[in-house]
Amino acid sequence: MKLKICGMKYQDNIEHVASLQPDYLGFIFYEDTPRHFDTKIPEISNTIKKVGVFVNEEISTVIEKVNEFNLQAIQLHGEESPYYCSILRSTELFSDPEPIEIIKVFSIKDEFNFAALDPYENTCDYYLFDTKGKLPGGNGYRFDWSLLNNYPSTKPFFLSGGIGLDQVDDIKKFKESEAYKYCYALDVNSKFEKEPGLKNISILREFINKLNDKKTMNYNVDEKGYYGEFGGAFIPEMLYPNVEELRQNYLKVMAEPDFQKEFNQLLKDYVGRPSPLYFAKRLSEKYNAKIYLKREDLNHTGAHKINNTIGQILMAKRLGKKRIIAETGAGQHGVATATVCALMGLECIVYMGEIDIARQAPNVARMKMLGAKVIPALSGSRTLKDATNEAIRDWINNPVNTHYIIGSAIGPHPYPDMVTKFQSVVSEEIKWQLKEQEGRENPDYVVACIGGGSNAAGTYYHYLHEPDVGIIAVEAAGLGVDSGESAATSVLGKEGIIHGCKTLLMQTKDGQITEPYSISAGLDYPGVGPMHAHLCKTGRAEFMSITDSEAMNAGLELCKLEGIIPAIESSHALAIFEQKTFKPDDVVVVSLSGRGDKDLENYIDYFKI
Amino acid sequence: MNRIQSKLKENKKLLSIYLTAGYPNIDDTVTIIQSLEKNGVDMIEIGLPFSDPLADGPTIQDSSTSALKNGMTTEVLFKQLKDIRKTVSIPLIIMGYFNPMFQYGVEAFCKKCQELGIDGLIIPDLPVDVYHNEYQAIFEKYGLINVFLITPQTSDERIRYIDSISNGFIYMVSSASTTGAQSGFGSEQTQYFERIAQMNLKNQQVIGFGISNNETFTQATQYAKGAIIGSAFVKYVTKNGTGSINKFVDTILG
Ligand SMILES: Cc1ncc(COP(=O)(O)O)c(C=O)c1O
Repeated sequence: MKLKICGMKYQDNIEHVASLQPDYLGFIFYEDTPRHFDTKIPEISNTIKKVGVFVNEEISTVIEKVNEFNLQAIQLHGEESPYYCSILRSTELFSDPEPIEIIKVFSIKDEFNFAALDPYENTCDYYLFDTKGKLPGGNGYRFDWSLLNNYPSTKPFFLSGGIGLDQVDDIKKFKESEAYKYCYALDVNSKFEKEPGLKNISILREFINKLNDKKTMNYNVDEKGYYGEFGGAFIPEMLYPNVEELRQNYLKVMAEPDFQKEFNQLLKDYVGRPSPLYFAKRLSEKYNAKIYLKREDLNHTGAHKINNTIGQILMAKRLGKKRIIAETGAGQHGVATATVCALMGLECIVYMGEIDIARQAPNVARMKMLGAKVIPALSGSRTLKDATNEAIRDWINNPVNTHYIIGSAIGPHPYPDMVTKFQSVVSEEIKWQLKEQEGRENPDYVVACIGGGSNAAGTYYHYLHEPDVGIIAVEAAGLGVDSGESAATSVLGKEGIIHGCKTLLMQTKDGQITEPYSISAGLDYPGVGPMHAHLCKTGRAEFMSITDSEAMNAGLELCKLEGIIPAIESSHALAIFEQKTFKPDDVVVVSLSGRGDKDLENYIDYFKI
Repeated sequence: MNRIQSKLKENKKLLSIYLTAGYPNIDDTVTIIQSLEKNGVDMIEIGLPFSDPLADGPTIQDSSTSALKNGMTTEVLFKQLKDIRKTVSIPLIIMGYFNPMFQYGVEAFCKKCQELGIDGLIIPDLPVDVYHNEYQAIFEKYGLINVFLITPQTSDERIRYIDSISNGFIYMVSSASTTGAQSGFGSEQTQYFERIAQMNLKNQQVIGFGISNNETFTQATQYAKGAIIGSAFVKYVTKNGTGSINKFVDTILG
């Protein structure tokens, strides 16, 4: 059943209501109502149809409004004749060639003579049944819906009149009844208002959630770039044109067939996808659960990072960018970026903290061999957070020809969403791979480590709204959550703003961002992506913290049991089996985000090999 | 009327100076402010240091890092400014990043500013629309003017929007850059200055970023009501300390 929200009036409120993704928004052009619409309609998703509501209006005025506000439907609330309706159905009148939908309203009190519909059968698209009252609509009480049991037509109709939150149960009962058969949509208005024309978002959201009967918390980004209260784009004005250009284009570009074709082709032939979903038999025996490993470590360049850089380099090319910048901590994302720049013949500049350059020499050499220029970040603590600052400064200084490839699901909107979507190929594959091996798409748990959260976002993406799939997020506890040397943001962090987004981050009481610590360079970021902050806050994901030593031991164990040397980041995800007990038939999919080649030095030092 | 608004009515070109609070030494903040006023500066931006100042170049970043090391915090700055209005009467603006204000509590922060006699705020990473939707009412309640930035890349439409919700001046960033990156203005900049001057905005403009000497000050104020000097001043006190601020101001004003 579709939903129409009628009587929209205020710009901000319209944007908020649109973020709830109704199917129709109604704008009343009838002057004698407090909900009379007389301003501008902000940009809203084109999946929402805009309906103009008129009462015995001049046809020329209706046409004018449709063209001015780019309306997709007309709702006629007066005594408009069938002839009037049929005129409006001719498409030449309107600047948009798509046929406009005509909704004819009938008001019902205690009884209704359905013969009144006959003349309109061929001149409108929908009927709308409203309660008869003093005003044409918006009277705030409902009619007896059982009258519709005698509905003689097969034309789909809108059900309207005083529908409110307290009627969810009645609506559910109505859905069981004969009358529901041709009910196409619900139309709500006055029962969801703070004042006429100003809709109450939280009550609307509750109504929608209750109606859908799901735990329908939305875990995806909304129209304004937020995940719940997290996200947004807190950027200096200097960056606004760059970020705005990306925001306006990213979904469009990603939806283009030839973009998808090129992306998928490269993932297959260049990256080596699909990556295997491997049933880890000996590990499963040891921990008495069915453990599968999603082998992102087998990708070209050795980690999941390349899924994102392939996507973004294609995006950059389509936006006409000639120069690529990136930040990197351990060098994995830097290498993945340098790789795709070599592939596409674009100039590549990677910012890397001076301290990280010293401790990740092999990756620095790789980037240089691939043709990238590695610039040391000398400010602040000279690690990942400062490399990110330097990359952002570079972007401020080069606003036109440069694209910034962010390496995780962080940064200002639309980055977290874009990176998540590029990484979502991971859970897309898990679904069919698990179906082949277990006969079902949904595991009982998906597990991933979180630095900024890109491998996790990709691993969770297609399971976010599957309530039977448990989500486990693994953070680096460093030397221990209370040791002062940790990167467990969900425990130690507070809401704040870092690198252009509102999220959980580690900071002093005074709001200065603090330096995290983990043995794994890929996890030592003081924030988490906004999606994960939302998953944490809503309780959708269970957050666990793993210390350096727990991770190192889990890494070594995987070598011994399965013959796989994991990246230390991924070892954090593997370490949860020592802490958490699963049922023997639980299917647990762990994202093995990267391979351990880059970490050999660390393993050697740690275990004195 | 807010001190910024009265100042903008004066029939002269305005010199505004940025300083990093708590730099070079923690207790220099008030002394520098007093000395700037005494030497004829029209308006002051007090930089509240932040660990990750994205819009700033190396000079201001380094001074911020030092100031934080010196022990500067929001609380400390507010304590230092407790009696500032007993000795200083020119407009004072706090310039800082959003996270420290957010942690202090935006309303509490604004209230405190009003108590101290602060006239306005510049928060580079608080976007215009978020301010407009969530915070404008609070700023207005405490009589604070929020100053927005525009750059050569800002579209005319967006400039008009920013102009419509500003009630002090518009901070014109001279070029696509972080602070301290430019030296001197080329024809690209003067064209941009001219373009903005011709838009007949409701709010007057003050140009900042890349102003470092008499020549750039004079150039900028040909097109705008005033100019802001940041990195050049921070460099000066790094090198010469706080004892000879008069010399710095004199060379700028020529
Ligand atoms: C192998 C591997 N896993 C995980 C991460 C953490 O990043 P994210 O949280 O974005 O997946 C990194 C980052 O460098 C990595 O190299």
